[in-house]
Amino acid sequence: MRIKSKKPAVADIDMTPMIDIVFQLIAFFMVITNFEQIQADERVKLPSDSLAKPPEVKAADELVLNIGFERNDKGEITDPEAYIFYNGEKIPVLQFGPKFEQEARIYKQKNQDPKEVPVILRTDALVKTGLVQDLIKIAQENGFTKFAFKATQKTQ
Amino acid sequence: MKLRSSGREAEKIEPQMAPMIDVVFQLLIFFMLTLNIVEPEGDFNINMPITNSAEPSDEPDIFPDIKVRLVANEDGTLNTIRLGQVNLGNGPNVFAGLNHEILKIIGKPGNPITKDMEVEIESDYNLHYEYTLKAVSACTGRLDSSGKHIIRYIEKIKFAPPVGGNSAGS
Repeated sequence: MRIKSKKPAVADIDMTPMIDIVFQLIAFFMVITNFEQIQADERVKLPSDSLAKPPEVKAADELVLNIGFERNDKGEITDPEAYIFYNGEKIPVLQFGPKFEQEARIYKQKNQDPKEVPVILRTDALVKTGLVQDLIKIAQENGFTKFAFKATQKTQ
Repeated sequence: MKLRSSGREAEKIEPQMAPMIDVVFQLLIFFMLTLNIVEPEGDFNINMPITNSAEPSDEPDIFPDIKVRLVANEDGTLNTIRLGQVNLGNGPNVFAGLNHEILKIIGKPGNPITKDMEVEIESDYNLHYEYTLKAVSACTGRLDSSGKHIIRYIEKIKFAPPVGGNSAGS
């Protein structure tokens, strides 16, 4: 019996297939990652609807408001009052007027008419409709006229 | 000048794999960690011109607004939907019913008169927002059979002041 012992060859692993796969993975994750939704707040549980299609034309500027509740880890509501999560602050919905005023002023400084800036409302499914309407009213008092409701796209 | 003769000792150049793999793995881990799976979100446009909020429209419309009334229970769930005088009741298919009724009113989807028609949604103050959104969706249209395209019914949606006012609010 012959024992192979001639050259203790350095185990030369063929890297090519591994790199192929790893690049595939990277490409996959790069494509699937979207950095856009930084304005979305995790605490807001949007209602879902099959008609909610992502808009084809995206407005250059939009004011996204997250309206929702304080929730614990399990997703249960801990505070019955609805808040607007705005730049890390927690503002009761009906006290948002000054912020609208401030936003309107910023848009005017940028030579934009607040009328043309859509206000995107990401509202939790359990918020009272009347409260949303009150918020719309406050927004109108500050010159905003375009509104859009967000919903997640229901998978059929 | 000495030219390198290429032919003679063509020793195989081994590219350094280790640093590249380091970097590639770094990238891979970065993208894996930053990945957060979000469901795609879509918009429903609501046009609320400022003038409308104060006074109910005075100018005579050729087509009166379609009035959708959403009645809520105490706890904010949906009690009934009324379309004009018709009571659509409650139940799992109530929004499909509303969708069907709207289709009956407009005749066929894409009918030119739908450009002038408006739906006015009047809802109880404490109704949960998800029902309002579903009502908006039912008035806006439906998906075609392939599930890819939206058949539009009525684009213009507006809101009447909420019923019940702040007394129902917390």
